[in-house]
Amino acid sequence: MELAVLLKQVPDLAEELEIDASGTDLEREWMTLVTNEFDDYALEEALQLRDEAGGSVTCLALDTGSADELLATCLAKGADRAIKVGSFERQPDSHTAARAFATALGRVPHDLVLTGVQAIDDLDGQVGPLVAAELDLPHVSVVTHIAIGPGGRAATVNQEYAGGVVAELEVDLPAVLGVQTSRVTPRYAPVSRVRQLMKTAEMGHVEAPTDGGSGLVVEAMALPQTGAGAEMLGGGADAVADRLVAILRERGLLKA
Amino acid sequence: MLDRSVTRIVFEGLSPEGELLFYVLATLSIGVFFAGLAIKLRKYLRGRREDRIGSWRGFLAGALRGLGAAAANTTVRKRDPFAGLFHAAVMWGFVVLFIGTAILTIDTDIVGIVAPQYHFFWGAFYVVYSFVLDALGVVMIVGLAAMAYRRARMKKPQLDYGRVDLAEASTDRRGFLRGDRLFLGWLLVLGVTGYIVEGVRIAQDDFPWFEVFAPVGYVLGRAFAALGVGGGTAPELRLALWWGHALLALGFVAYIPFSKAFHMLGDPVNLALRSPLAGRRLPVLPAVAPADGHLGLRDLADFSWKQLLDFDSCTKCGRCHVACPAAASGAPLSPRDLVLDLRQQADAAWAVLAPGHERRSDRAYGNGRTGGQVAGGLIGPRTLWSCTTCLACVEACPVGIEHVPAIVGMRRSLIDQGELEPMLQTALTNLAKQGNSFGQSGRTRAKWTEGLATPVTDARREPVDWLWFVGDFASFDARVQGATRLVARVFQDAALDFGILHEGERNAGNDVRRVGEEGLFEMLAEHNIGQLSKATFRRVVTTDPHTLNTMRFEYPALGGDWSVWHYSELLIWLFREGRLRTERPLGRRVTYHDPCYLARYSKVTQAPREVLEAIGAELVEMPRNRANTFCCGAGGGRIWMDDSMLRERPSEQRVREAAALEGVTDFVTACPKDLTMYSAAVKATGLEGRLVVRDLIELVAVATGLAIDEPEPGPESPAAAAAAAGATAG
Repeated sequence: MELAVLLKQVPDLAEELEIDASGTDLEREWMTLVTNEFDDYALEEALQLRDEAGGSVTCLALDTGSADELLATCLAKGADRAIKVGSFERQPDSHTAARAFATALGRVPHDLVLTGVQAIDDLDGQVGPLVAAELDLPHVSVVTHIAIGPGGRAATVNQEYAGGVVAELEVDLPAVLGVQTSRVTPRYAPVSRVRQLMKTAEMGHVEAPTDGGSGLVVEAMALPQTGAGAEMLGGGADAVADRLVAILRERGLLKA
Repeated sequence: MLDRSVTRIVFEGLSPEGELLFYVLATLSIGVFFAGLAIKLRKYLRGRREDRIGSWRGFLAGALRGLGAAAANTTVRKRDPFAGLFHAAVMWGFVVLFIGTAILTIDTDIVGIVAPQYHFFWGAFYVVYSFVLDALGVVMIVGLAAMAYRRARMKKPQLDYGRVDLAEASTDRRGFLRGDRLFLGWLLVLGVTGYIVEGVRIAQDDFPWFEVFAPVGYVLGRAFAALGVGGGTAPELRLALWWGHALLALGFVAYIPFSKAFHMLGDPVNLALRSPLAGRRLPVLPAVAPADGHLGLRDLADFSWKQLLDFDSCTKCGRCHVACPAAASGAPLSPRDLVLDLRQQADAAWAVLAPGHERRSDRAYGNGRTGGQVAGGLIGPRTLWSCTTCLACVEACPVGIEHVPAIVGMRRSLIDQGELEPMLQTALTNLAKQGNSFGQSGRTRAKWTEGLATPVTDARREPVDWLWFVGDFASFDARVQGATRLVARVFQDAALDFGILHEGERNAGNDVRRVGEEGLFEMLAEHNIGQLSKATFRRVVTTDPHTLNTMRFEYPALGGDWSVWHYSELLIWLFREGRLRTERPLGRRVTYHDPCYLARYSKVTQAPREVLEAIGAELVEMPRNRANTFCCGAGGGRIWMDDSMLRERPSEQRVREAAALEGVTDFVTACPKDLTMYSAAVKATGLEGRLVVRDLIELVAVATGLAIDEPEPGPESPAAAAAAAGATAG
């Protein structure tokens, strides 16, 4: 079973995000990046599936300058190969990313392609479906509980709907899956290993087109306006009710 | 008068065949003894190499200190004067009797044969010899009797072999007890039979006048004479007794390497090899990784020869077992059992003749993991993660066993295997990304300074006298931030020229290293050393004893060698210099909790007490104080792990200990983590109306007039009333 995992890094939300001078993007100069949470789940699932069924795990990331750390972390967790894709100044839009990944996957054997279902910095969840479309492969999004069928010809996956209803789907392989969560907490990558691998690991590189174009342009980016704060009403039910009525009256929302 | 007739005849009454038989048996016994030693040595040679010598000068000084401690029994006496006194009696009794036997052997078998004219076992020498050996024999027997009484009657919790991690039903340690009793009993019988042989001899020789210098034998002889043994009667009895004593003695020599008696040889060596930096400076990962590239102490083969000697040195005295905060709070870790498990495993796996009575017990052999990996296998992850690295075990161990470095070594393997709980994983990820365990942006590290009237100098931009390394908890924890601001204000009040690294600082890495995340520790330390190297300052000060330890003992090896002070040391210096003055003496009873990393690691116990004295507080000590302090449970990364499974948290046990002190209102500490741990413990134990947890600086600020005193707790105090009202409303 040849497993390919597509990953990227996103801004660390521990930081206070700032908008850059252009007003259309985040200020990225001092930004700390972390692995996209859902991509981490995808990698964990891939490693679990490999340990069950054999084969190998290849991790792919767009080369945006920080891919070395991301891919070394993948290797430290036990991935077999790491490949940097293309050459980008910054994380491109989903269409461009998908085209680059699809190009790279043309040179990487794969029975199953796993990627995070979405990322916090674009929220369009498009990379999986677009890669599948480019490669003409079946695709399922928001999946959990991936299991490889006999002979590796198909996989069953779960999709959880509202109200706790779970559907089990079967998909022919090769396929692209957008992973919602992994069966276990993603494993820890010891820093000793990551540091060692950053120095010694051989990472592959595949050229890829850097244009794809989603046709979307970010016109403005802004932080939400902070309100004046909320007033908490305390005390007994009667006191709360009285205060509530008083407030509504102050605002002219209650007559009499 | 003291002529050549003043002596006794060695091997008197023994036939030449008998004498030959004795020498054959003696040779056999000594052969078994050395074979036993060789087996032990072969085991240590299988251990990983480890340099314990370093510089010869330092090594010799340390070795002399260790041997001195062994000779004087200082480590045995510590906190157990009874055991110390009587152990010394047994030890010195045995040593002198052994030397006496050796002298007699030299006279009989070497001098007597090679140069009979120098034969010296007569006259004044004989009299003094007799007296000394007779006296030390009594000393040994009294010591043995007292130790037997201690084991049988004194119900010492440290001598209970029950395990904290296994059900009683699955534990069978009766073999341990049999081994202990055999050792003690054998020595006792040896001593007593020696006197009987002597008494019978003196009686049968019709009481030569000079034998009064063997008073015990002489008196015994009189008793035997009264029973009809004497003159020429029953020479067979004398021979039989002599053979009995001789066989017991020869047997004992052969028994030494295969029993608890090995500690007579191994433990002085282990004490001589003891490192003063054990636990304080952890070893770096071996430069040469094993063939499969695993990190840390995963398998038996990863342990060093010194660690294998450590495990063999254990006498099961149990002092670590009762000092351990993990064992005391129901966590599945006992340093004693960890050491014994490793010893049993090493002996079983390498087919070493284990000490008699120690084979086949407990988990070491019971759960089918024999021969498998040690970290995470034989010694389970929960056991290893239970350690708070408080160093109480290392401090308490009378024979120099270094438990904490072994535990951290195995944790390194757990990290390598990914065997860590999600909470810890999150903390480590935060530390890697933001340099703090709180998951806050590293850029907000100095945000606590915002409430200060006078800003704190940025030591990266301006030279300062004192570089204050603030640390994670002091920077980010809401409860501690108030105390941190008070530290700044007190320093400003004393006109101290100081600065901080602001967002240039990251967690110092002490506890990261003790979690076993060596790579992350290196990353944090390299970052901090880089930042510190760019700043200009003379000395470093920190409120955090954990930071203090790693900066004092570990940073120098990484290129960061500065003079690092704890703020309690700086405060007392400022008081002495007159730069801080007590305006309003505190005048109330407080107790002081020694933080593990301050009292045990850095051995700072006096400075905080002097500060308390300087501000007019009346210090009442808890039963466990100074180097014998009890851990709060947060060290070694435990603060990043779940402690809800504990029967009673160490911190809760500790505040109860403090609450038992009469009239004490304040629980004072000098460690940011302690402040959070004990504040929570006081709430959890419902002692809020009784005790207030305070950082040392909070009292200093009150006494120097910088801060307003909070009302004392007590049944009638407003604080208690508010707490009671809160409880009702909540």
